[in-house]
Amino acid sequence: MLFRNSLTYLLFFTLSVVASMAQADVVVVVSSKSSITTLTSEQTAKIFLGKVVTFPNDQPAFPVDQPEGSEVRDEFYAKVTHKNSSQLTAYWAKIIFTGEGRPPQLLSGNVAVRKAIANNPNAIGYIDESAVNKSVRVVLTP
Amino acid sequence: MNKKYCLVALFWLTVKIPLAIAAPNDNQNTGAEKSDAAPVALASHTIDSPTFTYGGFGSLGVSHSSQDLGDYVLESTMPKGAGRSYSWSASNNSRLAAHVNANFTPKVSAIFQVITEYHSDGTFRPEIEWANIKYALTPNAYVRAGRIALPTFLDSESRDVGYTYTWVHPPVDLYHQLIIPSSDGVDAMYRFEIGEAENSIKALYGTNTLDRPTSVSTSNDLWGIFDTLELSRTTFHAGYQRRNSSSQNLLTGVIGPWIPNSDLSFGALYDPGDWFAMSEWIQRRSKSKVEAMYISAGYRINKYTPYVTYSQNSTGSFLPGYTTPTAAEFKSANRSQSTVSLGVRWDFMKNTDFKLQYDQVTLSDNSNGYLINVPANVNLYGSTFHVISAVVDFVF
Repeated sequence: MLFRNSLTYLLFFTLSVVASMAQADVVVVVSSKSSITTLTSEQTAKIFLGKVVTFPNDQPAFPVDQPEGSEVRDEFYAKVTHKNSSQLTAYWAKIIFTGEGRPPQLLSGNVAVRKAIANNPNAIGYIDESAVNKSVRVVLTP
Repeated sequence: MNKKYCLVALFWLTVKIPLAIAAPNDNQNTGAEKSDAAPVALASHTIDSPTFTYGGFGSLGVSHSSQDLGDYVLESTMPKGAGRSYSWSASNNSRLAAHVNANFTPKVSAIFQVITEYHSDGTFRPEIEWANIKYALTPNAYVRAGRIALPTFLDSESRDVGYTYTWVHPPVDLYHQLIIPSSDGVDAMYRFEIGEAENSIKALYGTNTLDRPTSVSTSNDLWGIFDTLELSRTTFHAGYQRRNSSSQNLLTGVIGPWIPNSDLSFGALYDPGDWFAMSEWIQRRSKSKVEAMYISAGYRINKYTPYVTYSQNSTGSFLPGYTTPTAAEFKSANRSQSTVSLGVRWDFMKNTDFKLQYDQVTLSDNSNGYLINVPANVNLYGSTFHVISAVVDFVF
């Protein structure tokens, strides 16, 4: 009897480890020194797609990206802009090759994004929820 | 009883252990900084020396037409195509471009783009598509001077970047009406928000010289005004462009009269992400008036985007105020055809896609459509043929 329960338990344990590692809850953050407290998905999408260069309060907005192919980046863009990575590449290709603009600056990962944002009240980025600390404020959980 | 407590304890561990593995423990970061944890400065707003970024795009494709008494071409500049000249044509869908972007100061930048594609003289020689300097008055307004690709129709400026659209090529029945690809002159753009929507308006002025094997076409007083309104998932576009053009026959030396040309275009696109629908309508006026339209829709499942398009162009109707059209002019005004296209785009790899498209083209009465190199007196009026194309697009 104990043996049977152990097996089921082992299965449950494995599944929950896998599930919590696969779960990358992305959040959108600004510096804790920023005056922005909340943003909608639409407003965030416009900033990251280069359609607007200011926050709704007319302060300059400086978006930063994570590397292409990273899970947190793909999840952010899928949830906020409804674009997968090919659609996003096609979107920026059209803008770059017609001389209309360029994509956000690329930083190396969650901690790099958080540190850069903490130091710049105009910056906005997306990181894994687990990387959030007091130096940044969550303005959107997509 | 014992087993129950055991299970509860094990359950608690099950929750705690994965969380500890997945979450970095900030308490560990006291003392020396880790390698990627050093503070990163964001790009400052002053640039000391020009920064250059390089990139490019291309397409490699083949197409086959079932109509071997004429050539099926995508653009009016192509001298040969699939059908009569080539059973399988690689010229329709193959091109390669190199692009440089230079940022001199936060407000001054320049782009330069060279493309090799199938030209009117039958070669693939490189040609400059874009070469201009931009001054950004604000992040929402700029002026540019130099060579600027014309935004005559919705996808005109980016018609060569296959990776940016779903089809093998923007619908031919409409885009074949694009005669002048770029302007050497100036343009200005201003964008602003109207409530939740963004509106961008562009004005352009310049000239163009189009070299063909047996003629040179000069366009002066080329000007246009173009507006794009984006609201959430919907985009509306309207454009009006005019020019005065005259063509010199290089064989006889005769210079034709200046003819005013105008292009009026309207387009709409709805793209919520999982699927899209778009439509465009244009009216071109020179000595005759022609209209063309298309409607297209597709949906995205995983890496595949199947799509369908219907397009057509009208027979040209001659406008008053010109001399009576000659037989040759009548023939070139009667190029009405319609096309049903079915295809699929497969984003199989990063920055690369593969497309397969089937077009069924129906020529109108009194029309050979856009087919070229049809032997004199061969009459394909009213007939139907099909084209199959397979293309790989890439960006880098």
